[in-house]
Amino acid sequence: MKQCGTCKGRGFCGLSQCPVTSRFYASLSISPSSSYMGGAPSVFVGSTGYPRVRGGPLLTDGSDNPEHWVHHKFGIDDIVRVRAQTIRGTAEASITCESMHEIALSSRPVDVEVAFEKPVRFDLTFDGTLAPVGLYGSITSIAVLDNARVERPVERVTSDTDLRATEAVDQLYREKVDVHRIQQLFTSGLLGVRRRIVPTRWAITAVDDMIAEGLKQRIRHNPTPEGIRIHTATLYGNQIICLLLPGPWAYEMIEIWDKNSLWGGEKTSIIRDGERERKSGYSPIAGAYYSARLAVLELLEQTGHMASAIVVRRVSDEYWAPLGTWVIREAARAALKTPPLCCPDIDTASRTITALLGSSDWLAASTHFRTIRTQKTLFDFISG
Amino acid sequence: MLKAAIDADIFRETIDVISALVTECRLQVSDAGIQTRAVDTANVAMVSIEVRPEAFTSFTATTQELGMDIAKMKNIIAMMNKGDLLSLDLPEDGHKLALTFRGYKYSITLLDVNTIRKEPNMPNLDLPGRIILSGNALNSAIKAASVISDKIALGIDPTAGIFYMEAEGDTDQIRLEMGKDELESLSMTEARSLFSLDYLKDMGKVMSRATQVEVLLGNDHPVKFLFDIADGKGHVEYLLAPRIEAD
Repeated sequence: MKQCGTCKGRGFCGLSQCPVTSRFYASLSISPSSSYMGGAPSVFVGSTGYPRVRGGPLLTDGSDNPEHWVHHKFGIDDIVRVRAQTIRGTAEASITCESMHEIALSSRPVDVEVAFEKPVRFDLTFDGTLAPVGLYGSITSIAVLDNARVERPVERVTSDTDLRATEAVDQLYREKVDVHRIQQLFTSGLLGVRRRIVPTRWAITAVDDMIAEGLKQRIRHNPTPEGIRIHTATLYGNQIICLLLPGPWAYEMIEIWDKNSLWGGEKTSIIRDGERERKSGYSPIAGAYYSARLAVLELLEQTGHMASAIVVRRVSDEYWAPLGTWVIREAARAALKTPPLCCPDIDTASRTITALLGSSDWLAASTHFRTIRTQKTLFDFISG
Repeated sequence: MLKAAIDADIFRETIDVISALVTECRLQVSDAGIQTRAVDTANVAMVSIEVRPEAFTSFTATTQELGMDIAKMKNIIAMMNKGDLLSLDLPEDGHKLALTFRGYKYSITLLDVNTIRKEPNMPNLDLPGRIILSGNALNSAIKAASVISDKIALGIDPTAGIFYMEAEGDTDQIRLEMGKDELESLSMTEARSLFSLDYLKDMGKVMSRATQVEVLLGNDHPVKFLFDIADGKGHVEYLLAPRIEAD
């Protein structure tokens, strides 16, 4: 069976290079150089060889913040082009650790001077969770030329070594620090009591999950409004449909990879996962599950409501390069900002979603939907 | 005021019964013991539990309502060992419940009862089918069904004289039949209802410890499970709303 939908470039098939992502390798020209001077907007830590990980700065003078890309209406080609020219500098953590801290702490890119062992080489890496990076170089020395500019809440939380990572993440989020920035601080090991450098891919999901836990606690006693609502939006070929139903917190995500889409293969592939009060284990949908959930919980906190949510993500072949789970977060945020389609009952809702998707495949995959339709409550048996 | 001592295992059993459905509840304390009734957030399942003073090694209390954070209690119980004696102490008009065992003393702030849902009314139900079986057998059947499906039908077939449980997945089926000789008791009335295994799994884990569980069944009606805890000095009722058969 094809596992591309769950693997997303993590190498489950056993091949040394992912056949899906390798199709991007050919498409760029390189100007090899063994030194770099310029902006370093963020850091990156690989997960290979954990706990002896390698990490370092991402080097580019362009923008690195996904929220900026979306705001300025970058196309998928533009993003890949920007990222292909970005250099991922890595070295053992002992060499890059201090400069990574500076870079992650700063709210604007700092200038750095970097020397590489050999001229940088082209090594475009894609995977489901991370934004792609094009060039790769092994660092021999790095110097930060600027001073980091640090916001007050970041300063406070990172200098408090008695504050646990979960609480630190929650505090930063509540003080309106970007999710992207929190992930940067987390990956470079600036949060928590026992601090350590965390592979960026893990940090992204960990931060999404920690923020969600806090949000779940805060919305627990919110009232449930009547009415069934559907929100939808499409970003880079990712169609997000979010169905909000009255009821206690429950979340289900259904991911549909169209035929011939990135991880889809020869036929449509569907993955589902869900939760009630607590989530146990890592989702088979991977980072996307947590990113979309964060967007839904954000909305519920803002509106002071409670709801059960079913999120359908349908990926068409237009999404030709995996850009990272931020796409799902931003797509879901965009969807939830659109005026809702209101449905009088659950059957209308299911027909509406089927019409939006042009297929009823999602219905067969959704166990939450089936439960909602068939589960009676005890109130149904209290007469008069 | 509450001043009581209880075996850690009995306390754990009590908390496990409640935590299978809710994370917080209003606990009624009086000289008749402790009792609570709570429904889960989706209004699908209800738990009623009462533990009489005899279940405690010592017990004195005035009538009052306590807001209990059950999820927190569960974490504290994890710190207790088998055979520990737990003492509970709440002064008159106090808001902190002291839990003392093995020299540890937790002081737990009670929840404001007004933030917790009111105790629900008990629905009037017509449940003619009655089965008594061991908790272990019931839990095994629930576990067996959850391998292939998310729902299970419980029923009585009076003509064949059996109690049956059946589950259907997308492609697979399972059916378990139990005759009179495998059951403690079986009423010969037609009954069949479908239930979510999501809930039954959590309830089953708790019920597996009971030597006898009385099951009351109807047709497309809730199911009621009745069993004793604390060597008969406490009693539990679970009520679970059915699912309707899919079209």
